[in-house]
Amino acid sequence: MLDLILQALYSGVLQGGSYALIALGLALVFGTMKVINLAHGEFVLLAAYMAHTVEAKLGLSPVLAIPVALVLVCLCAVVVYFLISLIRKDRELNSLILTYGVGIILTNAVLLIWSADVRSTSSAWMQDAFVVGPFYSMRSELLFFAVSIVLMGALWWWLSRSWYGRAVRAVSSNRDAAKLMGINPRATEIVSFVVAGILAAFAGVAIFSYGVIQPAFGHVLTVKAFIITVLAGIGSIPGVLVGALLLGVAEALTVTLASSALQELAGMALFLMVLFVMPNGLFGAAGRRG
Amino acid sequence: MDCNCIIRSKLGLAALALSLTAGVASAEELLVGAEIPLTGSLARVGAGMNEGISVAVEVFNKTNGKHTIKVITADDESAPAKAIAAVEKLAGQGVVAITGGYGSNNIGPASDAANKLGLPYITSGGVDDSLTERGIKTFFRINNTAGYRKAMVGLLDDMKVKSASVIYSTKEATADLAKDVQKELAAKGMTVGMHAFDPAITDFKPIINKIRLQDKSEVILMAGYENDYVGILRAAKVLKPDVKAMIGVWSLATPKMVADFPDLMPSVYGTALLPFPAEFKTADGKLFADTYKKLYNKEPDYLGQFGYVQSMILFEAIARAADKGTLKKGGVVQELARTDRETLIGRVQFNDKGDNVNFVHRMGQHQNGKIAIVWPSDAATGKMSFPGVPW
Amino acid sequence: MKMSRTGLALIAAAYIAVPLLLGSNNYVMSLVVAAMIIGGIALAWALLGNLGGMVSFGHSAFFGVGAYVSALLTMKAGVPVLAAMLLGGAGAVLASLVMLPVLRLKGPYFALAILAYAHIFKIIATEWSSVTGGSAGLASVPRFPELMGFDFSGKIGSYLIILTVLLAFVAAYRAIRASHYGIALRAMHDSEDATRVVGVNSTLLKAVMLFVSAFMTGVVGAFNVHYINFLEPDYAFSGLWVTLPIVAAIFGGYRTIVGPLAGAVTVYLVDQLVFKNLIPSGHQLILGALLVAMIIFSPGGLIPLLRKGFGRKHAAA
Repeated sequence: MLDLILQALYSGVLQGGSYALIALGLALVFGTMKVINLAHGEFVLLAAYMAHTVEAKLGLSPVLAIPVALVLVCLCAVVVYFLISLIRKDRELNSLILTYGVGIILTNAVLLIWSADVRSTSSAWMQDAFVVGPFYSMRSELLFFAVSIVLMGALWWWLSRSWYGRAVRAVSSNRDAAKLMGINPRATEIVSFVVAGILAAFAGVAIFSYGVIQPAFGHVLTVKAFIITVLAGIGSIPGVLVGALLLGVAEALTVTLASSALQELAGMALFLMVLFVMPNGLFGAAGRRG
Repeated sequence: MDCNCIIRSKLGLAALALSLTAGVASAEELLVGAEIPLTGSLARVGAGMNEGISVAVEVFNKTNGKHTIKVITADDESAPAKAIAAVEKLAGQGVVAITGGYGSNNIGPASDAANKLGLPYITSGGVDDSLTERGIKTFFRINNTAGYRKAMVGLLDDMKVKSASVIYSTKEATADLAKDVQKELAAKGMTVGMHAFDPAITDFKPIINKIRLQDKSEVILMAGYENDYVGILRAAKVLKPDVKAMIGVWSLATPKMVADFPDLMPSVYGTALLPFPAEFKTADGKLFADTYKKLYNKEPDYLGQFGYVQSMILFEAIARAADKGTLKKGGVVQELARTDRETLIGRVQFNDKGDNVNFVHRMGQHQNGKIAIVWPSDAATGKMSFPGVPW
Repeated sequence: MKMSRTGLALIAAAYIAVPLLLGSNNYVMSLVVAAMIIGGIALAWALLGNLGGMVSFGHSAFFGVGAYVSALLTMKAGVPVLAAMLLGGAGAVLASLVMLPVLRLKGPYFALAILAYAHIFKIIATEWSSVTGGSAGLASVPRFPELMGFDFSGKIGSYLIILTVLLAFVAAYRAIRASHYGIALRAMHDSEDATRVVGVNSTLLKAVMLFVSAFMTGVVGAFNVHYINFLEPDYAFSGLWVTLPIVAAIFGGYRTIVGPLAGAVTVYLVDQLVFKNLIPSGHQLILGALLVAMIIFSPGGLIPLLRKGFGRKHAAA
């Protein structure tokens, strides 16, 4: 039993690391713009399909798809930002519907380009086992867990040290005050969208390397990312990591201790519980209630 | 913007008028409707079946000599309401029968609609028992859950194992099959561990670990779809449970899996009609394979084979009814009910519920980048390599 | 609040002309009924948005619960179909009770929290198989009955039922909008703080709107199950019941009453008859683009846009 629980915790932590990578971009944009980008999961999926193309057509390692994915996804991010900036009123709600529409466009574009077949890496290196004591995982899971932690560290450093990063934080905590301090909120918003695109590109390549992708998968990813953003609370990078780990571990433990059929239920229940009990998330500042 | 809208509605009206008047065919051509999902969640399997249907048209028209079949395809978008609409649209275009359908939730309402319009409906896309229990006389199906169960259980009999763990998706077809298999294995006195999973799950390690440490079964049975198999096999490859075989059902022993996941497949079992590379012993089989390759430039898979068989049986029944002049008098249904024919999937005969009584699937095993049929023995093309797992 | 002459003419046409002209074509009637189902959800969705100020991505929750309640009541308790449909709506209201805690949440949180409920309901419908039939679902759900010698289970009968249901919804919506509550709700839309100051209990009003919207969606879900005669969790709680109604409501104008209905009929028919032929797989892409374009160019929907165009022309003339 102990072995089972240890493995579940380990699996959950690794899964949480990748969830965090997906959720960070969503959380960042939400922080600066109060906009939930419902097409974020599709951004991740787009990068995953780029990895597939690079592997299947060029015979290269999916990791080498990262530069291409970065360009493509960041381009998409900028376009979506531009579309959102065209919204004239009630941006918070209208942007939801707008990005929902973008999500539909991207899902169907993926279906048209890559067909409905399920895809995943065929690289043996990625899929091989990596075992330490009672802990089992695929190499790709561990690799991208490390990538995720490094990226999160880099993001944290950027937000706290660089001028742009601090501007992003300033805009997310108080837009008007930030304006008074001479920060152009539009510029910081674009920057946060592009950074979200970068994170999504890495997340997509990661998902292709350890999981299985399908055109309809983007929506699932968006929902997961949103759940984590809620668990975290607005504007907290460590919060996103903790929320993601919490979700990953809760799912894995549900499978181990109860039934694997209830895994999704566990995530949703956790999400609602946090909403009810700690409406500002585990780490967030006030501002979620109506 | 408003003039734009007028153009739109005009376009709509034009299309409406088109769909109302289209479909009055020439006298020689017999029209058949294909109602299949080309979009939505079932798009992939729908496309596979569609390929089989097209091959059947090509083969029939080349070999029959007397009658010509033309198929009109309508996408049901994997949604029941649209499946009904698709059948009705096809009926409006003058088809004499419907071939196609995927997923019991679409096939049920669609075949119901076909029945109301007096059109026979033949399918291989839904194995749910409730479909044949509705008392619909115009409904025919060439495969069923029982045939899959018989194959799985038969293979386990050959292996002489005493315990099994079943990992199955909570989706309809997979859950039904898993429970059927469990019942039969339990009746034989075997120990069976059941592990249902939500279709959204991606990490199967916790489930495999439970089997490894708690169930300690001799074999793992998998009832899922391609993405599930990949996840399960990867998890199993990492955790290496002490089992003797990994056995799945549909979409697993396929050329596509050989090509896409060569490292995951060795020794894995799945249902398969034909070995890969395909060896056809019958003339019918050769014709099918050659035509398929000519049209699609790839190896035929099981979806195409089922789609082909169901459509050929239908086309032949239509031809017989046309010869007898009973086409408009329910002749196709009568002729379908009389079907008794050797096909790619074995002998096909329908009972009074429209179910193929002879259907027993075959089990294939991935061996050295090929697929050998290993069960039943009279169809086998190779010896089962047992025990054997991909790691 | 008087019924306009064109309104009356339209209703008469819907009841008499449509069955007479199109009733013999099953395919077209199927499309029309399906479009009206989407229209019903779109109307309920728009009511919540317009009067409650809330965007929901989880209306499939109400649709599915309504369908299951009605199907099970007719199959297991022998309740007549039409009564069960109303009880299906009531069931959806009960389901919305557990959503009350999320009402305090702001826009995006509410929108997605309600989606979580839809997921949870779907899992319950799958797992509670002794009652719901699990993932295999319910087959042979009772059809609409024969009343006064007219068989309502046919295409025309089903059409008349959903038409009546939709008109009842429209009447209810108009009544609510014209009532004191409606005025308070619209005030709330402009400034929630202001309404709080004048003593309107905004959370209570929002809750009532959620109930009304849930009820309408539940009834439509119940209608659909007796029309299709089949139900399973994936279908009952499908994302279909969210995407199309949103596109329809936004396209037609979610601040109006006729907008969502007109939007649903237009979007659904054009999608099925035109887009589907243009891009056989992936034609929803166009719906997505439509949604984006509407939000950017005319978030109020097409009807206000048309009205503006007309107004200008009249002024010029």
